[in-house]
Amino acid sequence: MWLGLWLAVLGLGVGIMVGLNIPLILPHAYAKYLSVAALAALDSVLGGIRAAMEDHFDNEIFISGFFSNALLAAGLAFIGERLGIDLYLAAVVAFGVRLFNNIAIIRRHLLKK
Amino acid sequence: MSSVKKNFYWSVVLASLIIGVFISVQFRMTTDIKDNETIRRTQELADQVVQLKKEQDVLQSQLIRMRGQLESLSTGPLSPQIKAEMEFATRFSGLSELTGSGVEVTLKDSDVSQIFTDNPNLYIVHDEDILKVVNELKAAGAEAVAINGQRLVAATGISCIGPAIRINEKALVPPFIITAIGSPETMEGALKMRGGVAEYLQFYGIKISVKKLEKLTIPAYSGSIKMDYIAETDNDTSSVPEA
Repeated sequence: MWLGLWLAVLGLGVGIMVGLNIPLILPHAYAKYLSVAALAALDSVLGGIRAAMEDHFDNEIFISGFFSNALLAAGLAFIGERLGIDLYLAAVVAFGVRLFNNIAIIRRHLLKK
Repeated sequence: MSSVKKNFYWSVVLASLIIGVFISVQFRMTTDIKDNETIRRTQELADQVVQLKKEQDVLQSQLIRMRGQLESLSTGPLSPQIKAEMEFATRFSGLSELTGSGVEVTLKDSDVSQIFTDNPNLYIVHDEDILKVVNELKAAGAEAVAINGQRLVAATGISCIGPAIRINEKALVPPFIITAIGSPETMEGALKMRGGVAEYLQFYGIKISVKKLEKLTIPAYSGSIKMDYIAETDNDTSSVPEA
């Protein structure tokens, strides 16, 4: 399963390189949405790695979860901003907790091996 | 390698690629916010102010030096009549430091401004108030007037610029100390006259105090002298003042 982790790190590195070099700058108003979307996506990836370690990885679930979680988080932040409620905090807390959970489980799997 | 595993690897790579792009774009956005246009512009303007202040200091010292040179030149081989005329002109135009008896008028903002139902504008010293005082002093025979060390000359304007008052291109803030050379009694009487300027200002709570002085010094005009539009008239006999 180390291969999965290394591939994730590799993808991340290439993605960061691409992101730093594309001549695209989003308006500052989108910063909040993008940040929660990134958090949700990160959680999905870790969830996927964890599922693969537990041998019940399903590609469709992974891909759909990846995009729907990211969009949901960004949408929540957007709606929260319109309503004057800091709903993005909900996304930050929820995905943050799941992130730590997933990392903890992945760590256990890796150590048990 | 099973197809499920292959799919997994591809998905992970794709997903982390997207996250990477997200994170780096976000990072760039955040750094972009930090040195955003407004902040940079403010910084730039602040730097400019400092720079211009330095330049102003340099030019000021240059001006003083050149005035001194001019003076030493004029004390050279000149006929005593021209010298006397020149001295008179310098004195009259406010280019020399003068001393004599006079009054010192201090204007301070009111303390009553804390009543916030009222317009606080009524309780602070305005250009108009200073103009009133200066006008009264001149009417009472003031021969030289300065405000916070800024000599009033023919071209001096007194106007409000935000919270400060601009005199001779300098921004002055309260308290305003107006010094005037002339007859102390006459000037004090003129200001403190019943229904006069002092009473009017005190009505709005502006603190005005008039102090008679036996000897006070009024500095020379230190600003720039602009004569871009002035042209000499043909019959310049009348332009020479009688010494």
